[in-house]
Amino acid sequence: MLPFKLVRKNLLRRPLRATLTVLSLTVAIFLICFLRTLITTLTAGVEHADSRRLAAMSSTGLFVELPLSYQQKIDAVEGVERTTKFQWFGGYYRSMKGFFAQFAIDGEAMFAMYPECEVSPEQQASFLHTRNGCIVGDALAADSKFDFKLGQTIQINSPLHPTPGNQAWDFVVCGIYHSKSPNFDNRTLFFHWEYFEETLKGEGHPPGVGVYAIRVKPDADIPAVIANVKGLFENGPQRVDCNTEAEFQRQFVTMFGNLPLFVGWIGTGVLIAIFLACVNTMIMSMREQLSEIGILKSLGFTDRSMFGLLIAQSFTLCCVGGALGLLLAWSTQRGVENLLGTSFPGYRILPATFALAAVIAMLLGLFTGLAPAWRVAKLRCVEALRSVD
Amino acid sequence: MLVPITYNLRSLFVRKTSLLLTVFGIGATVAIVSGILALQQGFKTMFVAGGRDDVAVFLRPGANSEGDSQFSRDRGLQLIKNVPEIAVGEHGPEASMEAYLAVLLERSGGGLTNIPLRGVQPATFEIRGDEVKIVEGRNFKPGTDEVIIGKRLVDRIQGCRIGDSVRLNTTPFVVVGVFDHVGSFGGEIWGDLDRFCTTMGRYGPNRVIARLKPGTVIGAADPTKAMFSETPIPPVPGSMADRLRDDPVIPAKVMSEAQYLSAQTVFLTIALISLGAMLGVVMGLAAIFTATNTMLSALAARSREIGILLAMGYRPIPIFLSFLFEAVVLGLIGGVVGCLLALPFNGIRAGTMNFQTFTEMAFAFRVTPFVLIVAVTFSLVLGLLGGAWPAWRAARMRPTQAMRRV
Repeated sequence: MLPFKLVRKNLLRRPLRATLTVLSLTVAIFLICFLRTLITTLTAGVEHADSRRLAAMSSTGLFVELPLSYQQKIDAVEGVERTTKFQWFGGYYRSMKGFFAQFAIDGEAMFAMYPECEVSPEQQASFLHTRNGCIVGDALAADSKFDFKLGQTIQINSPLHPTPGNQAWDFVVCGIYHSKSPNFDNRTLFFHWEYFEETLKGEGHPPGVGVYAIRVKPDADIPAVIANVKGLFENGPQRVDCNTEAEFQRQFVTMFGNLPLFVGWIGTGVLIAIFLACVNTMIMSMREQLSEIGILKSLGFTDRSMFGLLIAQSFTLCCVGGALGLLLAWSTQRGVENLLGTSFPGYRILPATFALAAVIAMLLGLFTGLAPAWRVAKLRCVEALRSVD
Repeated sequence: MLVPITYNLRSLFVRKTSLLLTVFGIGATVAIVSGILALQQGFKTMFVAGGRDDVAVFLRPGANSEGDSQFSRDRGLQLIKNVPEIAVGEHGPEASMEAYLAVLLERSGGGLTNIPLRGVQPATFEIRGDEVKIVEGRNFKPGTDEVIIGKRLVDRIQGCRIGDSVRLNTTPFVVVGVFDHVGSFGGEIWGDLDRFCTTMGRYGPNRVIARLKPGTVIGAADPTKAMFSETPIPPVPGSMADRLRDDPVIPAKVMSEAQYLSAQTVFLTIALISLGAMLGVVMGLAAIFTATNTMLSALAARSREIGILLAMGYRPIPIFLSFLFEAVVLGLIGGVVGCLLALPFNGIRAGTMNFQTFTEMAFAFRVTPFVLIVAVTFSLVLGLLGGAWPAWRAARMRPTQAMRRV
């Protein structure tokens, strides 16, 4: 039998200590959610990739442009349904503080190939009819740094693609899109390829294509399509690497190098620190309860129920702290997302992360109580009664 | 009259488990913060090292890094002829056009990474002098399909040993040597400018570098400030930078190499320092709670002693200071433990992407004196904040109450 009232009374014996321990747990569980989400956000694109989409880019590097003529050749490959092109613009709004992602695209083809990008039909039509029109993500438009409004003309400077007169580029915001899936960023600006190409003609070096997105037919043999696309350009002028969208995103994640590993180390550090803090609290409260436990034991309470008494305390403490931590992580999600802004877009805590953090809190509750509980269970009544705090 | 320090020091070590747990709790927090700082110091020192004041970097106007910048070969040559400040050596002006490109290569452990590829002219070696040393094999021959590899890449990237061949676009390049440089060049692949441009289908170099005649004042605005300013910051009027900015033939943005390099890690520095600060504050809170808990429990156990001290005539303020001191010592021990935990990271090699250049930087963690000072200060603050409330409580006890309590 477990005296539950005793568990509660013991926990509240020192309210300040209980509160402080719970608060440190809250902080730790919040941090674990935060750090884990940094990693899941990086890999979100891999998990939500469209299995019918492929990406073709230069096998040399991200900054090598592919000729425009490649599109026709890829379109002709058996199993290819449609292709569209992207070029990284690399511009900023006002100063480098306002750096965010922009791409030059084929409007119609992109809407057809990316159903996860949702724009109202009127805005879509207005975008397609405006030469220097653009669409921006809803999160980008709402960002206080930008605050882009429909119909507004915005100036973007691009160090990578300066206009012939070295002036800023003008774009008219024709639409604000909403992204239905984490693999489609909601903090990006898309504008017309024609406008891009015509403006740069004056420089004498027409722009090339960064990435060709390819949609295959439903019954296409994907490995064969990939091999055929690669084979087309094996002898140049630019060799091409073609991959599924998931693989493309995965390669992108590996480019971050040891960063995910560092985040893992930090998480481990947080766990160790909080584990030690909880063990400390439990040992302190066990010491204070020793003489009572002696009395309980001499009254006939078993070793096992005394063991349970201590574990129940640490478990309750950790569950309360963990629950508050989850609540904190959940309620600050929007704030953190805005804080990270365009430098780390897409911060979204997954249900799996919440579950992981909850399990960690419960395990902490079990393990931190273990050492003191063991000691209490082993204790003989006389020793316990004799002990002075 | 102050309470003797030995009283606190000896009291601290009465409860060894509690002390140990608290110290390691604080230590873990301090170790994480100093780990992040060591990471930042590591890539910063690596990146800025070797940046020279007498070497000028010429970029296209508006460009912030060589990746953004682009000249045609003719304009590059014209630019060199156009600048009288460039020093003249035995073989003509000490200026070199350089092409820069991030290429995708496979890591030794699997996965892809972006490695900087630099096409250089012979003048680059003249300008660099002893800074760039061939440590194995030999230098590449100009005009051939040969490359040399930065020493830091040798074990990190597949197929980067002497005799291996690296395929760039359609052309295989043979690795003939390994070179070393303290700065970022040590993580790059170097080869012939024209061979690289042809292979990659590029029409010219990304930047021009040149050694300047002694005493030349470049007068460029601080590139970091300029990047974050909404209005252009003008160079010093009448200086070389001012003249080249408005040059009618080849306008260019010019700055010293030291200035250029210091601006290349701004974003990663800001990101890491914010992460470190955020973790410091959040984990610091948890550590303060732990320290408070420990001190409160010490207080409860010693309330009789405090009663005796008070009865002996010690005033509340010395008692407050005495307990505060105990907490600070607790924090300090935690800080030292944290530093000891962080020290093994010193020298560990790692690689991460620099978002500004979009290339991987291979570097080592550096636990510098600066990191240690920040760590110890941080731990003292933790102890101080954690001890304040318990010490206040101790000072406010009444002798009779304190002694009566069991």
